[in-house]
Amino acid sequence: MLAGRLAIAIAIVAAVTFVCFRLVPVNATTVGFVYLLAILYLAARWGLASAIAGSLAAVICFNYYFLPPIRSFTIGDPQNWVALFAFLVTSITASRFSMQAKQHTLEAMSRQREMERLYALSRAILLIETSRPVPKQLATQIAQSFDASSVALYDRETGEFFRAGPEDFPKPEEKLRQAAVEGTLFRDEADHTVVTSVRLGGQPIGSLGMHGVELSDSALQGLTNLVAIGLERLRAQIAASRAEAARQSDELKSTLLDAIAHEFKTPLTSIKAASTSLLSTSTLKPDQQRELVAIVDQETDRLSVLVTEAIQMARIEAGRVVLRREDHSVEDLVESVLDKLKPSVDDRHVSVNIALGLPPVWVDGELIEVALRQLIDNAFKYSPPGSPVSLEAVLRDDRVIVSVADHGPGIPEAEQGRIFEKFYRAEASRHVPGAGLGLVIAREIVRAHSGEIWVESKVGEGSVFQFSLPIAQKEQE
Amino acid sequence: MSAGRILVVDDEPQIRRVMRMTLTGENYEVEDARTGEEALDKIRASRYDLMLLDWNLPAMGGLETCREVRATSDMAIIMLTIRNDEQDKVQALDAGADDFITKPFSMPELLARIRAALRRMPLAPEAGPQRISLENVEIDFQARKVIVAGAEVRLTPKEFDLLRYLVLHPNKAIPHRELLQAVWGPDYGEQVEYLRVFIKQLRRKIEPRPEKPQYILTEPWVGYRFHLPEQSL
Repeated sequence: MLAGRLAIAIAIVAAVTFVCFRLVPVNATTVGFVYLLAILYLAARWGLASAIAGSLAAVICFNYYFLPPIRSFTIGDPQNWVALFAFLVTSITASRFSMQAKQHTLEAMSRQREMERLYALSRAILLIETSRPVPKQLATQIAQSFDASSVALYDRETGEFFRAGPEDFPKPEEKLRQAAVEGTLFRDEADHTVVTSVRLGGQPIGSLGMHGVELSDSALQGLTNLVAIGLERLRAQIAASRAEAARQSDELKSTLLDAIAHEFKTPLTSIKAASTSLLSTSTLKPDQQRELVAIVDQETDRLSVLVTEAIQMARIEAGRVVLRREDHSVEDLVESVLDKLKPSVDDRHVSVNIALGLPPVWVDGELIEVALRQLIDNAFKYSPPGSPVSLEAVLRDDRVIVSVADHGPGIPEAEQGRIFEKFYRAEASRHVPGAGLGLVIAREIVRAHSGEIWVESKVGEGSVFQFSLPIAQKEQE
Repeated sequence: MSAGRILVVDDEPQIRRVMRMTLTGENYEVEDARTGEEALDKIRASRYDLMLLDWNLPAMGGLETCREVRATSDMAIIMLTIRNDEQDKVQALDAGADDFITKPFSMPELLARIRAALRRMPLAPEAGPQRISLENVEIDFQARKVIVAGAEVRLTPKEFDLLRYLVLHPNKAIPHRELLQAVWGPDYGEQVEYLRVFIKQLRRKIEPRPEKPQYILTEPWVGYRFHLPEQSL
């Protein structure tokens, strides 16, 4: 390698000598400059050693071919000794400067490359998807950005190792663990291996090992900082999403509890008010007393329905819907639901239209009543007081289709798919008391009967909720 | 003669039925409304002494209804709610309600609160001075009027009663309990949050700088004190 460079230096000097001596004869001063130029080139291209070799060769050739007496090593004029010596010093000094400038350029370029890689890595870290394991992605990004043959990342919190790059990381896992615990730096220059701790706020949170990469200390520092930020961002995100999930679940619970409290406390309020009024007021007339007792009676029934429903809800929530199927006439089911609803619906009226000769349905009567009640209740809740609600039942393809139609504001198409989701409340109706469970319950009940439930709705016109029920076995045969 | 005209606002028909039944039996004249909007219409058309207002109304909601009514009327307002937490009470009082009762409640308690809300100050108007002039506040006890910086300020009956009690016992720390019982009635005494809200509203209405009151002063842990400069009486 070195011999090659020296040979090149001598060859170049020889070429300059040949050209200036034979091809284009010039005076000694000009030759001196041409030699100097050649030596600067050697210094910049091949390094200091070849520049020095070139300088010595040039001094010899200069003396032999161009300083009188020509073709001899003797020098006639003592001034030429000075010239020769000045030439030697100049060429060697210039070589050194040229060499240093080149080195600085190279260093600057390498710094710039490191910076570019760090920048690319920092962008990649920002774009990391948190849906996949982040440390693994970090390791891969480092290997790609720095062309490392292998990268190993150790997460101290989870105790996991993540690897990337075409080769296996040559050092044992113990080395990484040690770096993460003790916060040490290990560098093997010959092997191009480095293992360093990753710190955040002075605390080691992991370690990073790389093989096949040459990095300056400052670049290494920048890299480990980026890794620390990446890992920390992941942790913050996990913590934030956990907190958000907890908050949402708390919110759901409190919405549900509010709704349940409202549902139960309403009949309780009527009962308590009526009974305490009966107990404390002596001025009530007999018909007033009777009416108060009637209210207590009706509201107790309502409470009983609520309790039954709550138990059904709990059964459905727990995923244990056991159907107690029997043949029921649709008329009976509808009538029973409307009877139970009556005291709490003011002057709201449901027009019922059940097709003649409708076969009985084979269902769990109690559950279907719950489902139907949810739909009628919703129709009342979400439509203006006094507007009509209609209930229809028809036979279609061996199934009974029951529909409940209202003249409410309707449901925008975008929300139609979501209203059957648990706790979903349509944007425009958040003010209506409720938990957003009614439709979920209705859907679960209908599904348990292997029926379907769906909604057809137009904004500004109203909504029609429909569900299908199986008809009695013997009717099918 | 009726003991007063009461408007019951609740979307629950059974509750309206019980109220109507019992309140009529107690010699009140009762009207009802199902929604806040309906209540506002009725109040515009006719005069009521008191409104029983459900918190959980569809559409407009009880709080909003309370605010709207309070903006134009000084009738007594009792809010009915199913939640019993201080934040709700403060919100209700802030919206202008005079009192607050949690569902389910017993009728005798509601009746007592209705009586308390309808009762004007136990002190006869003749007791004490007819009017008081402060630097920029003028209180006319006879006409139940307050003029601040030349303009009449609207006080609800409870606010006026509270102010009057304070002014009639000037320069003396009055305990919370005494104030509550004097203004709301003998069944009260623990509802310090009522005082906090009403004092805040009073300060906002009559103090030149409510955040740095010069008349209605807080006596920490005790109650409130009305600072009356000597020459004012």
